[in-house]
Order: sequence, then C-alpha cells, then structure tokens
Amino acid sequence: MSDQPKKSGQLKLTATPVTGSDDASSQALNEALGSSFLLVRILAVLLIGAFVASCVFTVTPNEVAVVLRFGKPQGTGAEMLKRQGLHWAFPYPIDEIVRLRVGETKTVRAAQAWYAVSAEEEATGTLPMGNPTISPAVEGHTLTSDGNILHVRATMKYRIADPVTYAFRFSSSTNLLVNALNNAVYHASARHTAEAALYKDVSAFNDAVRRRMEQWIVKENLGITLDTLEVERSAPLYVKSAFDAVIAAEQDRSKKISEAQGYADETIRKAAGEAAAIRSGGMVASNLLVQAVSAEAKFFSDQLVSYNRAPELFRQRLLTAATAEVLTNATDKFFLPERGDAKSREIRIQLNREPLTPKAPGGQPTR
Amino acid sequence: MKKTRLSLVIGALLLVIFLAVLFAFQVRSTEVAVVTTFGKYSASYTEPGLKFRLPWPIQNIYRFDNRLQNFERKFEQTTTRDAKNILVSLFVGWRISDPKIFLERFNGDSLKAEQQLEGLVRNAKNAVIGRYNFSDFISPDPKQVKFEQFEAEALKEIQGAAKDTYGLQVEVVGIKQLGLPEAITGKVFERMRSERERLVKQFTGEGEAKAIEIRSDADRRRDELLAKAEADALRIIGEAEAQASKDYAVFEQKPELAVFLLQIKALKESLKDRATVILDQRTTPFNLLTGDKPAAGTTK
Repeated sequence: MSDQPKKSGQLKLTATPVTGSDDASSQALNEALGSSFLLVRILAVLLIGAFVASCVFTVTPNEVAVVLRFGKPQGTGAEMLKRQGLHWAFPYPIDEIVRLRVGETKTVRAAQAWYAVSAEEEATGTLPMGNPTISPAVEGHTLTSDGNILHVRATMKYRIADPVTYAFRFSSSTNLLVNALNNAVYHASARHTAEAALYKDVSAFNDAVRRRMEQWIVKENLGITLDTLEVERSAPLYVKSAFDAVIAAEQDRSKKISEAQGYADETIRKAAGEAAAIRSGGMVASNLLVQAVSAEAKFFSDQLVSYNRAPELFRQRLLTAATAEVLTNATDKFFLPERGDAKSREIRIQLNREPLTPKAPGGQPTR
Repeated sequence: MKKTRLSLVIGALLLVIFLAVLFAFQVRSTEVAVVTTFGKYSASYTEPGLKFRLPWPIQNIYRFDNRLQNFERKFEQTTTRDAKNILVSLFVGWRISDPKIFLERFNGDSLKAEQQLEGLVRNAKNAVIGRYNFSDFISPDPKQVKFEQFEAEALKEIQGAAKDTYGLQVEVVGIKQLGLPEAITGKVFERMRSERERLVKQFTGEGEAKAIEIRSDADRRRDELLAKAEADALRIIGEAEAQASKDYAVFEQKPELAVFLLQIKALKESLKDRATVILDQRTTPFNLLTGDKPAAGTTK
C-alpha cells in the first residue's frame, strides 16, 4: 500500500504485476500526476482567495457606490449609498458595484447662442470678423425682448447631489443639462432688452438664467446642485461697433453731467461762503454802527455841558483842534496871502496821474 | 467518502450555476426587458431583479435602456400665428413606456424610435407654434412670454401619439434654440445699427442739455443765496439803524451842537490822509500871522 498515492486528487493506481521498465514508467507518471494535482490545488486555493477578495470592495472619499443585487439597488434612500470605506458584497453576477464620482465639480457649457469662433481665437481672445447675416448652420443667436439679436453663452459648474438619480434616471445627464441651460439662456433673453442684457441690468439677466436653470433642476429632478453659473454675452460682431459707440456716448453723457454737477457743487459751496460773508459783514457793520452811534451819543452828552456854558469858545476850541489835526495830516499845504491890490489870485493846478507803486507780492498794484 | 461529498458539492454548485444561466436572467434598474417564446411576445419586465425564463432557443430576452433618453430636433423654420417666420429647435426627453410596442415597432432600436419621434415632434412644434404670436416668445413684459405654456402644449401634443403608437413616454419638452432666419438677421442688424446711432445722438444731446440745466440751476441757486444774504445783511443793518436812531435822540437836546460835532468829525475823516490844503490868511489859525484877532466865524 505504500506505493499508492495518499493525497486526495491523485490518481489511484491498482497493484498489477509489472515488469521493471513498466514500474519505472508508472512511477514517473505518478510523480507527474502528483505535481499536476498540486498545481490544481494551488490554483483552487487562489481561486477561493480571489472569490473571497472579490466580496470586499473599497469606496474612495470622492465617490459613492450602489450595490445592485440581481440588477436591483440594495437599500432605500441614504442607505442605498455606500460611502468611503470598506464594504462587502456578493461577487458578480449576484451583486454589481456601481461607482459614482460625486466629490468633483463638473462643468457644462451651453453655447448654442454663441458666435462661431475657432479654438485659436478662443484661446487668444481674438474676436472673429462679423458677418452681415447670421447663418443658423454656422453660429447661434438669441432674441431679446426688444427684437434684437445677441450672442449669449453660459457655463455652469455643478456637483452631483443625488447620485442614484443622476446616474440611473438619465442616459446622458450631461446632454440634458446642456439643453436645459440653453433653454435658460433663451428664456432669459426673451425677457430682457439687448441693452439690459449687455450692460444695463446684467445681474438681473444672470439671475434670470440661473432661476430658470434651478427650475429645471427641481422640475426634472436632475439630481445636481448648481454651484456657479457664468453668463457671457456679446452684441453681434457685425454691429458691435455701434453698441460700443452707444456705450461711449453714454459715458460721455455721464461725464458731461458729472462735470456740470461738479460745477454746481463748487458754485453753490462758494455762494454759500459768500452769503455767510455778506451776513457776517452785515453783522459787523451793524455792530459798528450801533457802537459808533452809542459812542457819539455819549460824546455829545459829555460835551453838551461845556457847550452850554460857552458855546462860541467850545466851537472855536474844537474847530481849531480839528484844523490842526487836518493840517498835520495833509500831505501838501499851500498858504496864499491876499494880494495887496485886493484882487483875486489866480491858481493853476495841474493834476497828474499818480505814479503806480511796485506790485505787492501776489496782489494788485498799489497806489 | 469525504472526497466524494466534496465532489458532489462542487458538482451541485456547477449544476446550479448552469441552471441559473439557462433559467434565470437579471433586469437592471436601468433596463426593461421583453421575453419572447419561439419568437412570440410572452412578457415584459419593467422592475429590476432576478427573473425566470425558459432556456434559449425556447425563449429570447431583449433588454432596453429604460433611462430618460435625450433627443434634439433640428433648428427648423416655422411660422407663428401672426405669420412671422422663426427658427425653433426643441429637445425631448423620452423613455420606453411599453417594451412590447417598442420591440415590435422598432425592433429595439433607439435610433429608429427617434426617427419616428422626429416626425411627431416636428408636427407638434409646427401645430403649437401656429397657435402663438411672435410676441408670445419675446416680450419686454415677462408675463407676456409664454415659453412654459408653449412647452407644456407641445409636450401634451407629443405625449399622446408617442405613447399609443410607439410605446414611448415623452417626459420633457423644451426650447433648445429660438432664432430668426438668416435673411431676416441682416435686416435686424440694420435696424439695430440705426437704433444705436439714434441712441448716440440722444445721449449726446441729453448730456449737453442736462449739463446746461444743472449749471443754470446752480447759477440760479447761487444768485438766490447771495440775494438772500444781501437781504439779511440789509435787514441786520436796518435793525442796527433803528437801534442807532434811538441813540441819536439825544442829539435833539441841542441840534446845533450835534450838527457841529458831526461836521467836525466829517472834516477830520475827509481830510485824514493825503490831502492837499490851500489856505488863505483868514483861515484860523493862520489869521494870527496877519495880526488879526481870532474871531468867531473866520474859519473857512
């Protein structure tokens, strides 16, 4: 029995009489089969290991996974989503792991109403030549509420809020989002004038696009959260210079008004200052007058006693004092004695313009 | 014995797998399936899970994508009720509502389904737009714009025929593009240019007119401020004069003295500076030089 194979999987050989050469070949066959069965066993162990390993899967932080058992999602609501970590599932085809990337921000662009631009022009920011008409096959446009034509392009960044809906409800969520975004662009354009959309009420136009897009997200349960929405707009290239001229004219109007407003502010401020000065002058003159009259009245009262006592003396005293003061202050004094023949003297006066004195620094010439 | 049991287990497992492959199939949550028996329709499955079947060639399984498919119509010209030509393109979201009809009509081919859908959408679009005026699509008054109403009507129009005839459930219809025919865009450009030229003139004139208005208003306000200030100053001085006149009452005690004092003051003030005085010998006190006695009234 010692020559019989012991291990399972080995071929069992019956003990039959053999010749010496047969014995050697049987032994060789036994050894070969033993090696093969060992290999099979190792493979079996590896397969079992692979089977067990296939039951375990990991979910990374930027994704969630849904387990489909026989094609049907396991769990309901939030329980349906396997978040980051280690998880267990039966191997395919019993269970199927569907991984959905939710962490990253995705971008879609709706350029159905944009003008035709090459990649090179786009990269360098160069505007293509405008055509006198818009060929629908080549480029798009929107219609504004005042019947004008504009080019509008919207770029939306979003995140997946409901991965199951996003992945399982739509065959191409991206296409639907682009279409909805284009719809939002046309929807907003139809409600705004060209001027409003281009520069007068840009934020309202952007809000209208965003509102319409959010309506689509809710109404069609698109399973996303809108992050940012950038709306670009341009006048048709063929008439862009006319729009630029309007903007320039508006700025010129604003400039003129602003300059006039500046003049008005300055004029009124200056006038207010002058008015204050005039009032102040009035007050000063008033005070001076009152004080002067009061002083004169007091002086009169003081002098009245002396005057009543000797009026002529009083008069002469004051007159003489005044004459002395006047003559002292006078620049030129001429004394003309009477002629002996009692005839009148003839006086000739030559009045010359007084020479100007040198200019005072920063002021008018003084005399 | 132990080896035999293991072999049996493995054999049974293989048998189960073999039978499962033959007698079962899965319907994923994104699919619907149709089963035919000897080529004839047997059953439809719209719910996901494990389903049973008879092995091929007795039964065949057809699986179709049951998610919302996106389909876009061409940008085509149509006419509004008020005979305006416009270009409209619609996008449509559809899914299979009846797998049996879908299989029978299109042999499970989505492209064929969309070709049929294209005709439906075109007819519905033309019919519904024909009930709307051009102003229902663009208007300065947002309440007048009937985008949603148009889309709802078009959806309703497409839904009925698509479901009954083709086994398709149309769930979404929206305007993807709205524009004008190429020939009209040229005329619009001309109008836009002339409008902008008018606006340039208008803004230029407005700027000048407004600036003149602001400046003249400022000048007027300046004059008003100064006039009022002058009036205030005059009133203040008037009040001072009134106050002074009370003080002047004291002069009435001796008017000739008051006049004399005022004259003396005026004389001093008027000849205070840079005066040229010509005197004769009778002027006090120069009359002393001629030996005259000082007398009253000799001053000139």
